Amino acid sequence: MMSPEFEVRGARMKTGTPRTPNPEPRTALAELLLTLADDEFVLGFWDSEWTGIAPMLEEDVAFSSLAQDEIGHARVLYEILAELTHDTADHIAYGRQPEEYRHARLLDHSRTDWAFSIARRFLYDTADATRLTVLANSSYAPLAGIVGKIRREETYHRMHMEAWVKRLAEAGGEAHQRLSVALETLWPDALTIFTPFDGEEELLNAGILPEPLMAIQQRWLGEIASFLQPLGLPFPFREAGGGRYTPTFPITMDSGRIRHSDDFRWLWNEFTMVYRAEPGAEW
Amino acid sequence: MDVYEVFRQEREGEPMRHAGNVLAPDRELATHYAREFYSRRQESIRLWVVPRAAIEQVDDPDLLQPPLDRSFKKPTGYVIKDKLDAARVRGGLP
Repeated sequence: MMSPEFEVRGARMKTGTPRTPNPEPRTALAELLLTLADDEFVLGFWDSEWTGIAPMLEEDVAFSSLAQDEIGHARVLYEILAELTHDTADHIAYGRQPEEYRHARLLDHSRTDWAFSIARRFLYDTADATRLTVLANSSYAPLAGIVGKIRREETYHRMHMEAWVKRLAEAGGEAHQRLSVALETLWPDALTIFTPFDGEEELLNAGILPEPLMAIQQRWLGEIASFLQPLGLPFPFREAGGGRYTPTFPITMDSGRIRHSDDFRWLWNEFTMVYRAEPGAEW
Repeated sequence: MDVYEVFRQEREGEPMRHAGNVLAPDRELATHYAREFYSRRQESIRLWVVPRAAIEQVDDPDLLQPPLDRSFKKPTGYVIKDKLDAARVRGGLP
């Protein structure tokens, strides 16, 4: 299989009227599911890079377990997507080219140092928690059902990350400094978790996405401001009145989920290696 | 870093059994590590995470292994096998 034809790619092309009447905005829904699944999948693989080298044995096992949880979440989301697009979860997960992945730019960085991985996971887990809270009310039953289960695990991921952010921040010195540098670097890319996409309007109208992504982003920022600020950690936003936050840095959301980095291409090469060795093999 | 002893329960109604221990910098991370070490495969329904420092250890041999014969405190302390054998013979049993 040289260049697997991936159905969801069709979501990005403006096609004419659907061939058959369709009660669900399928391509937009497929795009949403793909972004959710790819976020979890890529984060899971990055964090699994700590296996064997985390700062202490207990954290090594725990962090690897969290990474596996993310890949497990990705799997159920890929399965829902596969059902919708008549594909298989494995093919979607491993059978695409790097530029076909739709994870947020936040997940384009390599694991870097421990503070960096903690900062990234903290930003991701808190943003994801807010996103999942909204999606639990999705009118698309398969999604709402699975989100309810994922949330129960993610609550503990978030608590685990909050404990680490607090530890590193309260330790002061190099720990606080490395964490601050990581957050400064990651903030612009963290916002891309909520990159608006074609078809979002359709999903809003259908109640599949109960709130606009940018509204969920605002809600998330409001939730974590009071956690980061007392710890003296970067929260580079101005309150613009009405509880709205505007970033104090220039942002580009346009390519938030496309045009991935060389770091990601390296990771892709790692996690697709076995699949590409024997495409179509049954495991 | 402190050691936390972890106890786990497999099913409702079963006793809490000692599972092992974890090393953690604080109580909160200790609970996270206990969960990842002793229930990440859903093998427990309840965990107790106890700082080892909270445990009173009793291991004085004078208390636990006193030197005098204590066999009379055991239910099997009195050896009655010989008496039973004699009784069987008296009663004509094989």
